[in-house]
Order: sequence, then C-alpha cells, then structure tokens
Amino acid sequence: MAVSNGRRSQLLRGVLDLCLLTVVQDEPAYGYEMTKRLRALGLSTVGEGSIYPLLGRLERDGLVETYRAASNGGPPRKYYRASAAGKRALTDGLAEWRAARDAVDGVLGLAEAEVRS
Amino acid sequence: MNEFVEQCRREWKRLRVPDVVAEEMAADLAADLAEAEAEGVAAEEILGSSASDPRAFAAAWAAERAVIPPRRSRLRPRTIASGATAALAIVAAVGAALVIFASPAAPAPATRLALPPTSARPVTVEVRSPGIWVADAKPAVWVTLSEAKGTGVDIQRSGEILLIVGILGMLVSTPLLFWASSPRLSA
Repeated sequence: MAVSNGRRSQLLRGVLDLCLLTVVQDEPAYGYEMTKRLRALGLSTVGEGSIYPLLGRLERDGLVETYRAASNGGPPRKYYRASAAGKRALTDGLAEWRAARDAVDGVLGLAEAEVRS
Repeated sequence: MNEFVEQCRREWKRLRVPDVVAEEMAADLAADLAEAEAEGVAAEEILGSSASDPRAFAAAWAAERAVIPPRRSRLRPRTIASGATAALAIVAAVGAALVIFASPAAPAPATRLALPPTSARPVTVEVRSPGIWVADAKPAVWVTLSEAKGTGVDIQRSGEILLIVGILGMLVSTPLLFWASSPRLSA
C-alpha cells in the first residue's frame, strides 16, 4: 500500500500545478477553498506535500495573480486566480499531460491485455 | 494547530523572511487550518505529510516564494585580516629560509672524479675540446666537460623579495587585525 501511495504522490507532483491553475482559471479562490474544489472533483489528497509551496511557486513565476479580500464571515484571505501567463501554461501543460498519458496508456495497455488473456 | 503555525513563524524568523511576508503566510495558514478544523477536516488533508514537519513545510513554502534573503558571506573582517596576516607571515618565513639556506657562503659540494690507483703518478692529459683525454690511465679515460645547467633563478634574490613582501604585508595587515578585533559600538 505504501508503494501505491508513493506512486500516487509522484504522479500528482507533476500535474498538481495544472490542477491548481484549473480550479482558479475562472473563479478566484483562497488556499483552503482550492483544496475543497480539488476534493469536490475527486482529488481528496494532495500527496506528500501541500498546495502552499506550489502556490508560492506559481505566484513567483507570475502564473497566478493574488489579492486580499474578506472571505465569507472570516478574516481577509489571499485569493489566487490564473493570470494570462498561467492560462497559457495551463494550455501547454494540458497538451503535455495528454501526450504523456496516451504514451503511457499505449505501453500499459499491453500489460492490461496480457492480464485479460 | 496554532502550535504548527507558531513553529512555522519561528522557522521563517530563523530564515530571515521579511516580517510582513511571514505574517501574511502565517495569517493565511491559520485561517485555512481553522476553517478546516471547523468543517471536521483533518490537517493532514491540507498539509499532507508536512503536518508532522512544520519546519520543512515553512522552509519549502518560503523557498518557493523566493522570500528567503541570500546569506551574507560568513567571512568577517577579523577572519580576513587573520588569514592575510598568517599568509604573509608564511611568505616572510619562506623568504627568510631561502635567504639563509641559499647563501653564497655555503659552497656547492665539489664533484670528485675517482681515478684508478695508477693515478697516483703523474699522468699525461691532452685537452681536446670539448673534453680531456687521459691517455696514461688504464684503461684510457675520456673526461667530458660540460656546463652545469641551472634554473636561471637567483634563489637568494627571490628569498629577499619574499622576505620584504612578507614583512611589509604584515606591517599593513597587523594593524588591520587589531582594528577588526576591537569592539565597536553598533548603530
């Protein structure tokens, strides 16, 4: 089971930035709100790390814009939304992900056929 | 979870993250953790395995945000002055050693040519450039003369130069060493 969790973390690590950009490309969100959106879409755990360092990198690279605003009944929060550069990076990253996924599927499909036969 | 945030604060302070940035990160983190707790969501779901290592979490976040100021050189003026004085003392010592041991008062050892016992009697030699033909010796000996090849470097002069450079350098660096070691009032 540990191996399975480790693999899942490794797989997520390469695409979590794309997932974060996706959930803030249309509507801004603060950190925990992004976690909730990911969970609602089926991504219940972010693996070994957390989203905060990744958000820091996206901010540093100019892929997200930030601003502070009051949250619903809570303290002011830092909201993130995808910048124009972030949306371009998302488009490029999506194409890379699909190409990698298809290639891996092509290889693992052989193993799947072997198991069935 | 307040303890987690406090440990993050301490780590950011240790890393010299600017107070404004550290306070902003701490406030966001505290608000998110409080909201998650109110909804019954475990901190591990937000922080992943970092939940058990706040220092690593804080350092990773600050590093990704590029808010950790670069470390200044650890070489202090006193260290630099000490190193320079020591290096110059070594230069002076090497120079002094060269001056002493490369003195012309110490003649180079003579090379002796061992001849057979028959050489006790006078022998007839014939000088034929570039050598000497000792016809009387048995067997006859042909001695070739050649110039000793040196490096072309005057060792004694080099030693004198090193000695002077070392002493002059120490005369400059030693006051600097005392200056760097003396306590100063900070602004």
